Order: sequence, then C-alpha cells, then structure tokens
Amino acid sequence: MCASLILIPFISVLVLNLPIRGIKRLAFGLAVFLFLLQMAAVLIPDPAFWKINHSFCANIFNFELGADILSKVVLFCIAMVSSVTLFSAPAFIKNSDEKFNFINILLIAVCGMNAVAMARDIFSLYVFLEIVAVSSFILIAFNRDMPGLEGAFKYIVLSGVATVLMIAGIALLVLIAGSTNFSLVHYMLITQNKSLIAGLAVGLFIVALFIKSGLMPFHGWLPDVYTSAPAPASVLLAGIITKVAGVYALVRIMVSMLGFSVSIQSILLFAGAVSVILGALAALTQSDFKRMLSYSSISQVGYIILGLGSGSVLGIAGAAFHIFNHAAFKSLLFINSAAVESRLGSRDIDKMGGLAKQMPLTSLTSVIGSLSCAGIPPLAGFWSKLMIIIALWLVGFKSYAVIAVIGSVLTLAYFLVLQRKVFFGKPSDEFKDIQEAGFSLSLPAIALAILIVVVGVLSPWLLKGFILGFVPVLGG
Amino acid sequence: MVSGIFAVLLFAIGIYCILATHNLIRVLIGIEILIKGVTLLVIAAGLKSGNLALAQALVITIIVIEVVIMTVAVGVVLGVHRHTGSLDARNIRKLKG
Repeated sequence: MCASLILIPFISVLVLNLPIRGIKRLAFGLAVFLFLLQMAAVLIPDPAFWKINHSFCANIFNFELGADILSKVVLFCIAMVSSVTLFSAPAFIKNSDEKFNFINILLIAVCGMNAVAMARDIFSLYVFLEIVAVSSFILIAFNRDMPGLEGAFKYIVLSGVATVLMIAGIALLVLIAGSTNFSLVHYMLITQNKSLIAGLAVGLFIVALFIKSGLMPFHGWLPDVYTSAPAPASVLLAGIITKVAGVYALVRIMVSMLGFSVSIQSILLFAGAVSVILGALAALTQSDFKRMLSYSSISQVGYIILGLGSGSVLGIAGAAFHIFNHAAFKSLLFINSAAVESRLGSRDIDKMGGLAKQMPLTSLTSVIGSLSCAGIPPLAGFWSKLMIIIALWLVGFKSYAVIAVIGSVLTLAYFLVLQRKVFFGKPSDEFKDIQEAGFSLSLPAIALAILIVVVGVLSPWLLKGFILGFVPVLGG
Repeated sequence: MVSGIFAVLLFAIGIYCILATHNLIRVLIGIEILIKGVTLLVIAAGLKSGNLALAQALVITIIVIEVVIMTVAVGVVLGVHRHTGSLDARNIRKLKG
C-alpha cells in the first residue's frame, strides 16, 4: 500500500504524457481523483491495509517504507493542499498547455512528498527531498518572470548548500554505523560511543533541515520565494512543500533516527523560540500581503519545532497536529491573498481597505484562518498550540511555554493589522468596482474554513486517541 | 585519510568560489565543487568502515541527482540571462531578503 502511493502518481504522469489524442483533457480530473483517493486511504485505520506489499512493488522498492500516524497526518495534508492548489490554479494559469504542465509537476511533487513521508532510510529520504526540491524550483519559476527566476535561483543555492550538509551527515553516519536505515543507525548510535563524529553528524542534519524549513537564522530565502512564486505555487510551497521537506523531515529524523538529548533539545527549543518571536515581529511591519504571511509561516514553524524540542509524546503529537493546522490555515490565507491579488492586481495592504463588503466570502474565510492561526478557541489552531504549550510546561521548559504564549499574542496582533487594513476600515476609491473572487478561488477557501471549524469543534473528543497514537511512534 | 583531506580541500574551494564571484554560472560551479567534495567524503567513509559497496551505490545516486538539479538551475540562469542580458548576480537583488 505504501509503495502504491508513490507509484500511482508517477505512473499517471507517464500515462498522461503518452501521445494519445485527448488524453491531456483528463489530467485535471485524474489529479483530483488521485488526491481524493489518497485522503480516503489515509483515513482507513486498519494496520493490515497499510502492510499489504505486492511482490511487484517490493521488487521495485527494495528499501523500507512505513506509515505510522505521523506519516499519515502528513499524507493527508499533502493530498489536501495539493487538491486546493489544483482548484485554484485555473484562476491564474489560463493557457491549457501551461495548465497541463502545472498538473504534471504537481503530481511529481506529490509523488516525492508521499515518499518523504514514508521513507525509513536516510538516503532515500535525501533522494526524495531532492525530487520535491527540483519540482518546487520549476513551480517557483513557472511564469518565467524576473521575480520568479530570482526567487528560484535563491532557493536553488540555499537548497544546494543544505544538500551538501546533508550528504556530509550521511557520510559520517556511513562511517560510524555502516548503514543508512533509521532503526539500524539508531541502534548503532545508542550502542557505540563515538560521540564526537555522531555529534557532528547530528549538527549537520539539524543545520541542513533548518535551512530547508526556513527557521530564523536561515530564513532569508523564504519570504522572497513565497512572494515571488505564482499564486497557486505559493499556496503549495507555504502549505506543504517546505513543511514536508524541512519540518517533517526534521521531526522524522529526530524521532526515528537520532533520538533526543539535552543539548539537541536546547538547540531546537532556542531556534524555535527565536523564530516564533522574531518571525511575528517581522510580520508586524510588512506591507505586502504575501510577505506578511511568509513571516507568519516562519513564526508558526517555530511552534512546530518547540513541540518537537519538548521531546515528549504530547509535544510530538502537538507538532504533528500543528503541521496539519498550518497546512489548513496557511493555504487558506494564501488562497485569500490570491483572491485579493486576482481582483485588485496588487498586494500592497496599505492601499486596500473595506473589502469586506465587496468580497464577503474571502473576508469571512480569512477571519477564520487568521483566528485559527492565532490560536483562538474553538478553532483547530487553538488545540495544537495548547498541546505544545502544555507539553513544554510539563517537561519543565516553563520559560519557553511563556514565550509560546507571547508569540500567540503577537500572532493575533499582526493578523488584526492585516484584517483592519485589507477587509475593514475605509473603502478606498481606487477599488470601488471590485467583485467577489471567482468560483475556483472561493470553493477551496470555503472547504478549508469548514474543515478548520469542524476539526476544532470535534477536537475535544478526538484528541485522546490521536495523542495515544503517538506512543508507538516515539517508542520505536 | 588522504581522500578525507581532499574532501575538506574541495569543500573550502567550493565555498570560496560561491562567495568570491558575482557570476551566476560560477555560483553553480561552486555548488558543484561542494557536492564533489562531499561525494568524495562518502567514498572515504565507505572505505574506512569497510562498506565500499554501499558507498558506491550512494555515490552513483548522488551524481544522478546533482545532474538533475544542475539542469534545472542552468535553465533558471538562462531565463535570467534572457531578461537582463547578463549573468551578473547583482542584477537579481530586487527582492528584499
């Protein structure tokens, strides 16, 4: 089953590019069907279903794949954000050939991300991270305009440096463990006592994945890339690509391979706290809609890293839940920014005002997204932040718990600024004849807003089973 | 041991190459040299720990992936050249960072 989630998108890309008349028109429908299928498959709880391994697949993939609850959360987010991106693409990409290319690259990216979510081997994780990275380079430069090319080049250079650090880390692991399998390396790291080389390898992996996830000392590329990418690509990048390629990969490597120690935890907590506070403060001063959301993204990634740094089951569960929440509300907010940009032709929030009357659906959904991001009950974002803060408090990092609460207040502050400048306040004369964004941008926004509210309301009943599901993740 | 020293040397050359130039193609060459350095490190690690077969498989995969990345990267540089008519990295500082 695990292998088919990688193989099916890959084979469908091959089939779509066969020289058959009319097959290109099927691309959109096929992609939607695949993403819905993936969301449905993830919700199947039966463990036997996930262990089915056909001999054909086993012959192709002779490396280990696995799907625990952490992988399943990420797999669900991948399908959710990709389908949202797919629905919002027609509003920005008019040419049918370009649309077909976009769907192809999206399917390759999904194939790579699914594989990252299920890889149980550090080298195959690296290979699939590169597949995701290459497809995101192409997505950023999709319009071949100057900002897109500039953002793509910055991402290529930074991602190249991260790759180099990661291969160096893999080389050191080969030296001390003689293997790249997660469980074998974990066993060797516990039993053997070569602390200097092991510490160096851990440091290399942490720095490489901090660069990929855009945490605060290494965040320089992230606002540029999100801002310069075309609107549908920035939904995908902000919602899921950097979360899978950076944050999830870091969580997976820490949990399954490297294990926690006091020094690693203090590095993670410090970087997370710095990102939470400085990301939020930087977001307060921005005047570009997308750039503000990008800094907010840095700040929210800080929360996920804080949850990881606590090193407890509750903290990891909170981090996974926050990855899901971030995928939901950040792609919702980026779709709102796309809707505003498509109608106004501008992203400068100082020039906007009073759009709540002209664009009621966009305004309402963006309020839900912002409140969930700021952690207001009963929306979904509240519960994940609460889990992370309680986990930090219980483990004994009380000062970091306080920083997380302060960060949440700052989040509310910059979203209030955003809401007041864009949707409320005095309507500007320049944008009097603006209408609600089209069907292709409102439908995904409404679906995501409903999802955020429903998950938030149902959370008190579901959370206990969700958290208990993470006990085996941390144990093995 | 010797290949380890050469790996570090290549690493230093690659970083110098990225930092010292304003030419986009030379930045890519710098990244290539960095990747060559760590590839040598993988071989050295495999030799030292007696896992040369594993190291060989890893190195071939790394070479394939770096070719794919460089193809896309050179495509992006060609796009920049088409817009600005030069390969100077100082032309692509419109974004604030």
